[in-house]
Amino acid sequence: MHRLWNRVDFAFGSAWQNFWRNAAVSIASVLIVWVVLLALGSLLLVLHSLDRIVALEKTKASAISVYLADTTPLSSAMDFKLHLEADPRVSNVTYVSKDQAMARFRDLPALDPSVIDTLGTNPLPASLDVTVKDIRDLGAIDQEVRNSPLVDKSPATNYEPNVIDKIILLARVAGIAGLALIVGLTGLSVFIIMLTIRTAIYLRRKEIEVMKLVGATDWYLRVVLAAMLAFGLLLGSVGSYLGVRRFLKQ
Amino acid sequence: MAALTPDAPQISLRGVSKTYPNGTVALREVTLEIPKQDFVFLVGPSGAGKSTLVRLLIREEKATSGIIRVEGQDLSRLKRRHLPFLRRKIGMVFQDFKLLPNLSVFQNVAFALRVTEGALRHLKPKVEEVLSIVGLEGKEDKFPDELSGGEQQRVAIARALVHDPRIFLADEPTGNLDPATSWEIIQLLLQINARGTTVLMATHNREIVDVMRRRVVAIEGGQIVRDEDAGGYHAPALESR
Repeated sequence: MHRLWNRVDFAFGSAWQNFWRNAAVSIASVLIVWVVLLALGSLLLVLHSLDRIVALEKTKASAISVYLADTTPLSSAMDFKLHLEADPRVSNVTYVSKDQAMARFRDLPALDPSVIDTLGTNPLPASLDVTVKDIRDLGAIDQEVRNSPLVDKSPATNYEPNVIDKIILLARVAGIAGLALIVGLTGLSVFIIMLTIRTAIYLRRKEIEVMKLVGATDWYLRVVLAAMLAFGLLLGSVGSYLGVRRFLKQ
Repeated sequence: MAALTPDAPQISLRGVSKTYPNGTVALREVTLEIPKQDFVFLVGPSGAGKSTLVRLLIREEKATSGIIRVEGQDLSRLKRRHLPFLRRKIGMVFQDFKLLPNLSVFQNVAFALRVTEGALRHLKPKVEEVLSIVGLEGKEDKFPDELSGGEQQRVAIARALVHDPRIFLADEPTGNLDPATSWEIIQLLLQINARGTTVLMATHNREIVDVMRRRVVAIEGGQIVRDEDAGGYHAPALESR
């Protein structure tokens, strides 16, 4: 037992001494791991935000307002609503009356309510707010509702194909680029960590040679190498903790 | 393990040949016996096979054919896990000392005990004992680059002595030292020999070999060309006396 302790004590003691003896190399290794993981962490954070923005924009953009002509009776509007709700691509349809549209309009910030009062009549149309399950179906839905006689013609909907195409494209590009960067940076981290281990063993090759010469057993050599690796792992963990600490808090 | 009879040679080689994987033939059919407490010079030009012979004895290399016995043990049958225990019976020093530059004199010697899991309470007295044998008392805390070449070789000798080896192998121990220092090292090896340790020293140092009048084994082209008690570096040197 005491011999085992002697081994472990010496192995870790020399790993610790070795760290300070090669302080420059050791600190450089920790810094490199720190920088790489910091970059990886930042990237993950950026991608996460981007993902959320895209998701939010998608939800916003996957709804269109279909403006109803003022001549459309409420019963027809409700039939039209039921017709749209029956469509499997549609997830939700909400009827917004002229008064509700005006109320929403009043709630818009930076708009003086007294200006609206000067209008006298309510120029806003009633609408059906249609939300689709998949944003890519929005164009087809838009085409269909435009042809209905119930729908106002100027303008028929607030559908903006350019914006939606851009959002779809952005989401796709961000996903692919992000994945590629994550794979690249992870590979780089692994490469740097392996290189650091090799350097550590290279720096100690003379020590290993002498150990064999004076009759250290293979088992002992393995204990020492394992201690070095354990120590390296500890340092690596410190490096990675420093690298990801700020992201963990968020 | 075979018991060693009192008369059996401590080191014996029978028809030993060594061919390296690249085809170089380093030793051819070498037969040699070294009894206990002998002091042997191994001489010969560079590349003659001296170093190969030394490496075979600590089993850093395996013989291609032939039988090598050290303390009665057949090295070709020695299991890898028993190898460290062979090395602890053999003290070994080299031309380039092989000291660890970032350890002090004391730590360099203690290293050999620590990595072989010696009991720590015996460590300090043992290190002090071997350092006093080689005459380095008071230099325990120096580092190798603060020492002269001769002192560095003494540290290496002290390190080789901590396991009380029965055999001491020195591969060109004076190769990097000036003549006066070389003589000091030789005196030390003689002292070690006088304490009962068999010494085998591979060397190029003609002057030392000629003055010492000890057993000389000369190797050339991988073969033993001469084996004389009280010999000189060259055969003609002996005849002229």
